Amino acid sequence: METIHLKKTIEADLTFSQWFKNVYSAVKTTFIGLAITFKYVWGKDIVTIEYPEVREELPSNSRSRLFNDAENCISCLQCAVSCPVDCIYIAAVKRPTDAQKIKTKDGTPIRLDLKQYTIDTALCCYCGLCTTVCPTECLTHTTDYEYASYTLAAMKYDYLAPDIRAWRTRIVKS
Amino acid sequence: MSTHNEHNENEDKIILGDQEILKSDLLTLNMGPQHPATHGVLRVEIKTDSEIVVEAIPHLGYLHRCFEKHAENLDYRGVIPFVDRMDYLAAMSMEWGYALAVEKMLGTEVPKRAEYIRVIVAELQRIASHIVFFGTYAIDLGAFTPFLYVFQDREEILRLFEELSGARMLYNYIWIGGVWNDITDDQLKRIKSFIDRYEEDLKKYHSLVGENRIFSDRTANVGILSQEQAFDYGATGPVLRGSGVKWDLRKNRSYGLYDKLDFDVPVGEGLKGTVGDCWDRYHVRVREMFESIKIIRQCLDGIEEGPFIGKVPKIIKVPAGEIYLRTECPRGELGYHLISDGGKTPYRLKVKSSCFTHVSLLPILAPGQMVADLVATIGSIDIVLGEVDR
Amino acid sequence: MHNQIAEFINKNVNGANAIINELVAGVGDKSITVESSKILETCSALKSSQEFDFNVLQVVSGTDYADRIEVSYIMASFSKNLELILKVKLPRGDKHNLPKLNSVVSVWNAANFLERETYDMIGVEFVGHPDFRRILCPYDWEGHPLRKDYVVQEKYLDMVVNPPEKNNTYDQMFGRNLKLEIGDPKKVSASWKEDVEETADEAKDGE
Repeated sequence: METIHLKKTIEADLTFSQWFKNVYSAVKTTFIGLAITFKYVWGKDIVTIEYPEVREELPSNSRSRLFNDAENCISCLQCAVSCPVDCIYIAAVKRPTDAQKIKTKDGTPIRLDLKQYTIDTALCCYCGLCTTVCPTECLTHTTDYEYASYTLAAMKYDYLAPDIRAWRTRIVKS
Repeated sequence: MSTHNEHNENEDKIILGDQEILKSDLLTLNMGPQHPATHGVLRVEIKTDSEIVVEAIPHLGYLHRCFEKHAENLDYRGVIPFVDRMDYLAAMSMEWGYALAVEKMLGTEVPKRAEYIRVIVAELQRIASHIVFFGTYAIDLGAFTPFLYVFQDREEILRLFEELSGARMLYNYIWIGGVWNDITDDQLKRIKSFIDRYEEDLKKYHSLVGENRIFSDRTANVGILSQEQAFDYGATGPVLRGSGVKWDLRKNRSYGLYDKLDFDVPVGEGLKGTVGDCWDRYHVRVREMFESIKIIRQCLDGIEEGPFIGKVPKIIKVPAGEIYLRTECPRGELGYHLISDGGKTPYRLKVKSSCFTHVSLLPILAPGQMVADLVATIGSIDIVLGEVDR
Repeated sequence: MHNQIAEFINKNVNGANAIINELVAGVGDKSITVESSKILETCSALKSSQEFDFNVLQVVSGTDYADRIEVSYIMASFSKNLELILKVKLPRGDKHNLPKLNSVVSVWNAANFLERETYDMIGVEFVGHPDFRRILCPYDWEGHPLRKDYVVQEKYLDMVVNPPEKNNTYDQMFGRNLKLEIGDPKKVSASWKEDVEETADEAKDGE
């Protein structure tokens, strides 16, 4: 057999006058609250956005869907190294010396042929570390949002695939 | 042969205050893991005698994401996105503590402008975090409307953070050596107009919720935590201050620019009931928001032009040694115990989470309360399970 | 400050043998190491001392080194504004014979959860703890995750931990396959390099 002692919550003694005071303060504070609430009924502009019909434009440096402009990528692997969750898979082959010399948009020579550039968006944590280390600024966060998919395989973005390259015109500014 | 009387004698006796209460069988009730009042995935196993809680046992770990193990395998910059995910309602404050710990080990000089930006975002984050407390606590106690009002204001802060850092909740904004992006004059103006408006609105919200008779009856004299218990259980932050202890790391062990700024440390005074009850903890947080507004105002006046990130080597290697650094986060003290062996990754990164210690208060606060008061108590210690389980 | 504390511990606790750990690279915090058998006496002496008054226990954490486990007790004094890292060294022990340490729950109640966490994560047994269970991992989990040699158990309650179909094998093996295709591995560079080479070596051994 065990005895359990419990603390009792403190309750003030209720006198007759106190009872009336309580009723008065309850009514008073409730009306103060109601007055504030009623001001909101007509006094405020509507702040909600009717989402599927009205779409919000995200701020320009918002970290949303990643896009790699594969033509400007020099396969330096810096993004893959800096990625804290290891979700960027890159494979590249050295360009033959006799091949035509190509350059990125900002003039960096491309010495490697990109064979694979896949980001597993299901693993990605959208921290933005990969975009800050990119020397040619080809890997960027775009402001495109709303890209849920039914399968995990569809979350893997192969940036060399033509359908994903086609996003470029839609989601990349400038 | 056991008679009815003998059976009764063998049972536990329950004494509430000084009188024995009518005892039926103890009922075990699971509050959580999916329960709206536990603010996440906390499971509290409570034994009740009718409506009165006799025992409460918290079960943790439903959101354990192995942060400390991850940190051992990440470079120092890569830890920051993980740090965000601990207390996801106050990610800026989490990042700041980590960045300070690494900077102190590296001996990095942080530019003045970055320091100002850090104080501004951390205090805005404190407001945003207390707003969540304010709104959800009102919901816990049955008032739905204040939640909608305050979340409009939080939305404004989050929008600002999104423009600043690119994300709404998990910013990765405060970096080792400074901050990621510079803040523009336009954003500073918007912060100014926001805090001016919010200061007025907050007074209104407080009179809507805190002064309300129903709210104060539900929270005053409920979940009383005495000073001795608060120290004994290692409570920090608003919970400790609610018990009447004037202790704030921003004042007592100043970091960043806080020693140059003028602000008060609000403590619980027992205005509606006893010192250390739920209403005091609520009131401390509301007054902290006013203090944060005061701090931001001073920073907006004092912010200087200049670089926003200091010189940090490209590959960060922290010299061997250890450091324990505490900062004052919205929910209490956050400590990072960083042990380095001179390599590219931390050897060990232990996080002292305030919410974790606050959960251990539940077994002493709960017994003797009604189940509905337990909801008020859990709400008032304001835990975020991401930080509890890490 | 550390000198005074070490002196105080040596004076008040017999055989505590407090040693100050000096800074290695000149940065960070100093700490004090005491004998593991005297931790309870040391903690209660530090708490009840007028001079230091360490009234709050902040952290109990363990660190796994190759030859030992160090348990750090970080305590703070809110009245004197002090902070102290107190350490004990323990043998690593093994699965069935975990290192043992006296519990300090009787000194600070905060140690209750913190010690449970240390047991869960590092595997140190606290003798005299009132409610000694795991806390973050499930109660029937095996192993202590923050040990450096920890390997995740394969099955937990008939559920496979880390099932292979969740692993992104195709992308991880892409670079290795490319090397085989091109013929000259030096021409190929790939992220996931190290893993691919390891698996390639294993495959060779198998052949």
